[in-house]
Amino acid sequence: MASASNAELAPLIRKLESIATLSDEARQAVHALPMAVRVVEPRQDLARDKDKPAHCCVLLTGWAYRYKLLDEGRRQILSFHVPGDIPDLQSLHLHVMDHSLATVTQCRVGLIPHEGLRALCLRFPDAAFALWRDTLIDAAIFREWMIGIGRRNAHSRIAHIFCEMYVKLQAVGLAENHRCAWPVTQTDLGDALGLSNVHVNRVLQDLRAQGLIGPQDRDLVILDWDALSALGEFDETYLHLERRAAA
Amino acid sequence: MSLHLEPIRVATGSGDEEGRLVLMQDRLVAVLVRLSEQHGPDAGRWFLEAGLGPLAGPDQPSFAGLDEAQDWILRRLDGLHP
Repeated sequence: MASASNAELAPLIRKLESIATLSDEARQAVHALPMAVRVVEPRQDLARDKDKPAHCCVLLTGWAYRYKLLDEGRRQILSFHVPGDIPDLQSLHLHVMDHSLATVTQCRVGLIPHEGLRALCLRFPDAAFALWRDTLIDAAIFREWMIGIGRRNAHSRIAHIFCEMYVKLQAVGLAENHRCAWPVTQTDLGDALGLSNVHVNRVLQDLRAQGLIGPQDRDLVILDWDALSALGEFDETYLHLERRAAA
Repeated sequence: MSLHLEPIRVATGSGDEEGRLVLMQDRLVAVLVRLSEQHGPDAGRWFLEAGLGPLAGPDQPSFAGLDEAQDWILRRLDGLHP
């Protein structure tokens, strides 16, 4: 276990400042949050359904996902998370996990005790408002996913999630020039978007053949942003970004 | 209860065209498609492209062969009428 450096906390600060305004004092208080840093290997649970965590996890590096396990090993992925996100922030107020949280890649995770976050919110209302705003945007993202699963076809769902993750990564300074890491597998995509692995594979090959994305598996290269965002009916309003990190 | 298979070409919008209509007596219950080379290690497997009635839903498995696919379909249909 170790402490997080200021550099490691940069995505969290960028994330909060991309959606809200923080005073200098609040920013310093976020830097000073009590935090134990752990390295967690890929595909490991950070929190499990029914757990009662005493801390929240901030992603310092790597990707994670929320999921729910159903009968017969069926899995619904509920969201993907990137550095700067606090995917179990709700555990501060909702004491029992109603889903699980796991790593996609190896992650450096900062564990912030609940009492540290509570103290931050009580002393710095602008920090509390930023976290509140983050949970509201989290709900806005769920609304978009619901539209996708309920009303968009396979091409549109996949195009939409590519646009969404790219914009989220760009907001924390981890993507530019329409390129970013893409550690999510085809099975993950299918479980997130309610598609079979076969359909995901067909759509990815079609998007590549149409010249919308590059041929890479582990990196997302968006070759035609306008066409991809039109296909996904992607309108970033729901991400409520006030400021983008300097690319 | 037994199933009857009829070859059919399926317009999946991909390289996966070779298919089978799966009929129970004279009723269509499912469409199977043989996965093409574009699916790498899964090429040659039979995919439940569409299920009708009780076979409809988000569960779309693939099978090593047509016998395995028919067994699965029959089990699903039997399960509803024990």
